[in-house]
Amino acid sequence: MIKYAFNRLLTTIPVLWIAITVCFFILRMAPGGPFDGDRPLPEAIKANLAAHYNLDKPLIEQYFIYVGNVLQGNLGPSFTTPDFTVSEQLAVGLPYTLILGGAAFFVSLVIGVAIGVYGALKRNSYPDHILAAIVLMGLVVPGFLVAPILQLIFGLKLNWLPVGGWGDGSISYLVLPVTVLCLPHIARISRLTRGSMIEALNSNAIRTAYSKGLSDTAIVWRHALRPAMMPVLSYLGPAAGFLLTGSLVVESIFGIPGIGRYFINAALNRDYGMVLGTVVFYMVLIMVLNLLVDIFYAWLDPRVRTR
Amino acid sequence: MSQRILTVSDLTVSFDTDDGVVQAVRGINGYLDRGECLGIVGESGSGKSQTFLAAMGLTSSNGHTNGKIEFKGQDLLSLKKSELNKIRGDKMSMIFQDPLTSLTSHLPIGKQMQEVLRTHRNIGGREAMAICLDWLERVQMPEAKRRLKQYPHELSGGMRQRIMIAMAMLCEPDLLIADEPTTALDVTIQAEILDIMDNLRREQGTAIALITHDMGVVARMCDRIQVMRHGEYVEEGSVEDIFYNPQHEYTNMLLDSVPHIDVTGAKPSKVSKVAIYEDGGRDFLRAEDLRVEFKVARGMFAKPAILRAVDGVSFDLQAGETLGIVGESGSGKSTLARAVLQLIPPTSGTVSWLGSPLNNIQKDELKAKRRDLQIVFQDPLASLDPSKPIGASIMEPLTVFESQLSKAEMRERVNEVMLRVGLNASFINRYPHELSGGQNQRVGIARAIITKPKLVICDEAVSALDVSIQSQIIDLLMDLQKEFGLSFIFISHDLSVVWEISHRILVLYLGTVVELTDTSSLFSNPQHPYTQQLISSVPLPDPKIERKRQRIKLVGEMSSPMDPAARLRFLPSKMHLMKDGYIPKLEERFPGHFVAEHDDISELLIS
Repeated sequence: MIKYAFNRLLTTIPVLWIAITVCFFILRMAPGGPFDGDRPLPEAIKANLAAHYNLDKPLIEQYFIYVGNVLQGNLGPSFTTPDFTVSEQLAVGLPYTLILGGAAFFVSLVIGVAIGVYGALKRNSYPDHILAAIVLMGLVVPGFLVAPILQLIFGLKLNWLPVGGWGDGSISYLVLPVTVLCLPHIARISRLTRGSMIEALNSNAIRTAYSKGLSDTAIVWRHALRPAMMPVLSYLGPAAGFLLTGSLVVESIFGIPGIGRYFINAALNRDYGMVLGTVVFYMVLIMVLNLLVDIFYAWLDPRVRTR
Repeated sequence: MSQRILTVSDLTVSFDTDDGVVQAVRGINGYLDRGECLGIVGESGSGKSQTFLAAMGLTSSNGHTNGKIEFKGQDLLSLKKSELNKIRGDKMSMIFQDPLTSLTSHLPIGKQMQEVLRTHRNIGGREAMAICLDWLERVQMPEAKRRLKQYPHELSGGMRQRIMIAMAMLCEPDLLIADEPTTALDVTIQAEILDIMDNLRREQGTAIALITHDMGVVARMCDRIQVMRHGEYVEEGSVEDIFYNPQHEYTNMLLDSVPHIDVTGAKPSKVSKVAIYEDGGRDFLRAEDLRVEFKVARGMFAKPAILRAVDGVSFDLQAGETLGIVGESGSGKSTLARAVLQLIPPTSGTVSWLGSPLNNIQKDELKAKRRDLQIVFQDPLASLDPSKPIGASIMEPLTVFESQLSKAEMRERVNEVMLRVGLNASFINRYPHELSGGQNQRVGIARAIITKPKLVICDEAVSALDVSIQSQIIDLLMDLQKEFGLSFIFISHDLSVVWEISHRILVLYLGTVVELTDTSSLFSNPQHPYTQQLISSVPLPDPKIERKRQRIKLVGEMSSPMDPAARLRFLPSKMHLMKDGYIPKLEERFPGHFVAEHDDISELLIS
């Protein structure tokens, strides 16, 4: 098991390197640079800035400097906010995004799986159909529409919850943004779970489990749930990546200072360091998540371990 | 003795499907006494499993059951689920056809067994472990203790079925329902599993309901037989009555369809006497020292292991001859067939066809030769393109090899060949899923013979079919051989089918030839211990002979081709040469009768 995880870890390194390389060069191929504003800077200042950030060196040399920095865990300077490094900037917004995304991930998983299992057990009954319809609403109605509606009802009309901000990070501030982030994931997870659970319940192994006289609870939890979670797990990797990298929409509607906005601002400003830094950070995050997914696969299905 | 365990009265099982209500079981009556083995035989779709699935409360959710199934005085069909759960797994248990998918893949064997004891006896921990271990030993599980911690995929098919049986027996049930328990297993393993079940019946007095399509298994195991067709019992009686005095035409037909291997050396009556060239014909097809190796990855940085699927096989085939290739799963039969046709490139060795080589030639050259070299696969439905009407599938080889023909001429040829293989010409625009298994296999054969090939390889071509269909297909193949002088390589795990159709037989074990000779010598005078074991393991559809037969049991179990010691299983005296990769040599013991080197059988028998 540990050997399996280690092997998987090693294979992610070359992938990471290739991704950094491709991003680095593609970004440089785009026209414009961090210091091309509406009002052009004097050439001398521009040259000074370029020299300061090593932008005057050959591209290949810049590449090696960058990779060298990344290897030391340094994502480099931000070109537009010279007082902060990229790492420092990410560190400011990250806790908010992680708390919000982590909560949303956990809530989606628990509720999604619960609805899915329930639907599979009571398949084609009225409660199953009604739940499926409600859940589908969460998938088709976009977050930027759901969010203001929820703010209107629970914040302004009923006055139960704050309409936005982080406050002191208490739960009441989290409820609405987490709900908005969750809805589409609950929908996907519950649909996946329902489908794979039905398949698992129809399998030969479950037939054997019934023939042993086990109770329904034992059959669902001990025998059917783990194989049924396999397709859900494949979805969870990307879903977690999406949630933890912050949603620009949700963060701006609720006024949460997460990292979603950094990425957009950096891209608009051609802030090479910031864009690359964010990309590298996202990639590492997503790869770690995928690694976790693979390890969980092996835990769910012992056959994966020996392959 | 006549303690009644199970009484079935007026049982009907029906299913709601998209095509309306399907009656799977139409009002059957039956009973089962303590210590008795009842055989329920019938072909696929006869409803033979549904009867007992209903008793276990395992009818699928779209099914409806009516009538009564009384188990020791309780009507199972009217019980609540919680009450039924107290009976099933305890007083009544069931084992299934496919022991791999029938076990939960993510739980260790020990856990799966223990939960039965926990549920029905409230026993856990060490005590439960001890009972599980005891039962594993009683089903002759090698290294029983280690198995408790293993997962189903780490065990062989035979071991998995032993676990299923042990698990079913944990609470010492009165009734064991076995639904095709050995169908997915090799004959030697089948023989062992049947022995275990028979012993349990004797020692424990467990009644066994044995659901099977195999008349040989029934002849060996059962006291009484119920023959089922279209959801009804057409005939019922003692084993002797059914086998020696069948009343119903369907029973007769079933019995006639089963090949009756004759171990006295008589030639199978149906095999054609097509003139075999006494000399000169040897150049038809010749394989020499054929080897196929696969690399098996062992992780990213480890050197891949070499799996020798075919390990130095030589044989020849004459025009108009049928060579049977038998062997158990993992023996390399299919790989050998594919290597002969260059569908898998052989690692080394040569295949020559009419005197010129088939391997290491240009692609175009090989393609032109493919016209004469065809293959029919096992699963007829899966090997046809589901999106094409069967007429198009049959015609396809013509568009490749005889593209000069006009559309009308091609259609004419398709009609001809469909008629020849017994397919109604009106089927031409049907899709594979609309046809039965037997019809689809006829399509496969029509597709293979439409270019008038000289050699057709049948890779388990009849294994997935019911016996009656199987015998029709075999008759068809033999007719085609007479008519066109076709040669066949007929691959099967089923010795009786191979016996019926082949002129000569090659016995394969872990990629090497163990014995090669003509059919009657192989069965009347088998030389190699493995061949002897194989033949003695085949259940014969004749209760009198079958019950008196002595079964040969050899030490060891067919293991992985990756295990170097496995190759010397029948030659332990040369085990010290294992490191040098010693492979038993093939010697011609009698003219035309080749046998691989082996130790005397007395050294190899299980004492």
